Amino acid sequence: MSIGILRAAAALYAVSAAFYVAYFSRPRHPRLAVAGVWVLAAAFAVHAIAIGAGCREFGGREFFTLRGGVVLAAWLGAGAYLVLHKLYRVPSLGAFVLPLLLVALIPTTIFDPAHPDVPPELIKNAAFHVTAAILAVALFAIAFGVALMYLLQEREVKGKRFGALFSRLPSLDKLDRLNQRLVRAGFAVFTVALIAGTFNAAVVWKSPWSWDPQQIISVLIWGLYGAMVQLRHRGWHGRRYAVLTLVGFVVLAGAMAALQAFPGATRHAGNYGVVVDAGGAQ
Amino acid sequence: MSGRELFLVGLSHRSAPIEVRERVALTGDALKGALQELVGREGVAEALVISTCNRVEVLVHARADGPARDFFTTRAADASSHLYAKQGKEAVRHLFRVAASLDSMVVGEQQILGQVKEAYGVACAAGSAGAYLSRLCNRAFATAKRIRTHTDIGRGITSLSQVAVELVEKIFGDLAGRAILLVGAGKMGALSAKALAGLGADRILVANRSADRGMELAAQVGGAFRGWDELSRLLVEADVVIVSTGADRHVITREMVQTAMRARRQRSMCLIDLSVPRNIDPACAALPDVFAYDVDDLEKVVASTREARQDEAVRAESMVEVEVDAFARDGQTRAALPVLGKLRKQAEQIARCEAERTLVHLAGLDERGRRSVQAMAQAIVNKLLHAPTARLKKAAAAGDGELPAAVAELFGIEDEPPSAAGQPEPAEATAAAAQIDEPQAAPLTSGAASPPVPR
Repeated sequence: MSIGILRAAAALYAVSAAFYVAYFSRPRHPRLAVAGVWVLAAAFAVHAIAIGAGCREFGGREFFTLRGGVVLAAWLGAGAYLVLHKLYRVPSLGAFVLPLLLVALIPTTIFDPAHPDVPPELIKNAAFHVTAAILAVALFAIAFGVALMYLLQEREVKGKRFGALFSRLPSLDKLDRLNQRLVRAGFAVFTVALIAGTFNAAVVWKSPWSWDPQQIISVLIWGLYGAMVQLRHRGWHGRRYAVLTLVGFVVLAGAMAALQAFPGATRHAGNYGVVVDAGGAQ
Repeated sequence: MSGRELFLVGLSHRSAPIEVRERVALTGDALKGALQELVGREGVAEALVISTCNRVEVLVHARADGPARDFFTTRAADASSHLYAKQGKEAVRHLFRVAASLDSMVVGEQQILGQVKEAYGVACAAGSAGAYLSRLCNRAFATAKRIRTHTDIGRGITSLSQVAVELVEKIFGDLAGRAILLVGAGKMGALSAKALAGLGADRILVANRSADRGMELAAQVGGAFRGWDELSRLLVEADVVIVSTGADRHVITREMVQTAMRARRQRSMCLIDLSVPRNIDPACAALPDVFAYDVDDLEKVVASTREARQDEAVRAESMVEVEVDAFARDGQTRAALPVLGKLRKQAEQIARCEAERTLVHLAGLDERGRRSVQAMAQAIVNKLLHAPTARLKKAAAAGDGELPAAVAELFGIEDEPPSAAGQPEPAEATAAAAQIDEPQAAPLTSGAASPPVPR
């Protein structure tokens, strides 16, 4: 990927985040939020070019690493945010989601990406699985931001502190419903990603299930979010649900970081080449 | 210059008790009649009466404030001791402050601007508002709007029921598909329930110990009456519960709410206790997804708003000051402009007459020559008036009213006499004031004192 283009996108995200944070601190200037959306749309477009350039140059290999996954997640997250903006118009959400996106994206812009030796047929096979999984992660990340907003707002409303946050954040009910929809949508996409991944594993690794740590973690996280969807049907909502959403994403991010700490433990995240090549050599 | 000035005579919640205010307050046709009566008085060109529950103020563009005072004393003989009177810039400032809600009982409240606008509308309809008042009022409205957008004076919540609405809005967004339960027949409770119904609640349920009073209240707030023994069950149904009874113990206990929350599958509930002593166990607030507030909580919000508005009011006052000065300067400019217009008109008239007189003796002159003579006369006028025009405009812009007066005196430009009958037509008067650069070639007896100009 052309790191220069990605850096340009990151700079635009930073500008958009600045607009959103400025809007949050001065909610009487809605133009700041409007500017935030437009800059975000521009960042999204530049980011798309960066990803496209990366795919052209290296056939998309770099997206089979954690780093590439984060780049893709940030892009899909930005896209999801733009869709949410169209659907729900919660401009204060930008002040929560964009800094999160920026924090995730900035480390990826520092070094040139690694290009692991991923076989082209694996890329072709697993592209959908990877994209879907990453989209689910992006949706869970936005849900995390919304849940955070919920808890902050709940603290204000319940604690009778009618301060700055109170007037800036949308109603608890709106945040709760948005959270629920994001979790539900993320879970649906994640389910599809796991099914696709299972098929990919069956083809590439000759077995749908091979006790790969990432497989195990993915199923656990799938179960966690599945439980959240179920609990919602059983009437869970509000504070408990928001806390659950936070926990879910922290577990997810923690697991991803843990996998990264043990390189070679999983055949995901950049290690495909090694293992698959070894398998191919047999 | 007309010699008229703005006079304001009035009484308000600051100066007069309600017993006096209610006797002088006027609405509808009576107000129109009073306005017409005012402008019918000697020396009064324009009149405006602001009559709200908190204030009655009479503004007249006149030579004296006698007619405005009479407005009060004829209606309430003892009113005179409660009156305040202001004139000129003071009166302008007062109106600007009133419209900007700086003089209101609750500083920053929204209604007053609408009420002043309405008063102006009535004055227009009654034909008592002319060019001056329309300029004054429009400036007052613009100032009020500017203050509202550029300061936080209108922000925050000023009444308990409004606080309740705001809280419920922050919890539920709107109340579509939800139910409000009103427990007890307290007045504040009914007010709040009505305010909350504005959020689109599906239904209002009323529970009261006395069925008669309960049913009456239900009819009043557009709700359905339910028996007192149903209370526990109603807590499951209702999302917002307003309690306002005279009971001296907890009508809604922690256990009741806990049970109800279980039955509600933890759907959020908002409890608002407007009674003193409290009728909702304060321990309810600790339950998850239960949002409980008492009068003190709501009162605190109102108090913080008041404080914040006081700070904003200081900023607003300085904005008013700027606008009052601008209005005064504007007035002086406008006062200077007619002098300028008339001066030019007069000079051009002389030039035309003299040119014609000369041309009579030059019969052999061709068309081109005639035009040259006329142009020369006009050129002399232009050259002569160039410096005075520039000086006058500059003086007017700087707010200097003396120079225009001196010019009028020096060149024998007569002041407009007060209109003997009726009021000035706003449009016409404005046009007259604005007209400087295109003096009309109206017949003007040069040199001689001009008769009252028909307008």
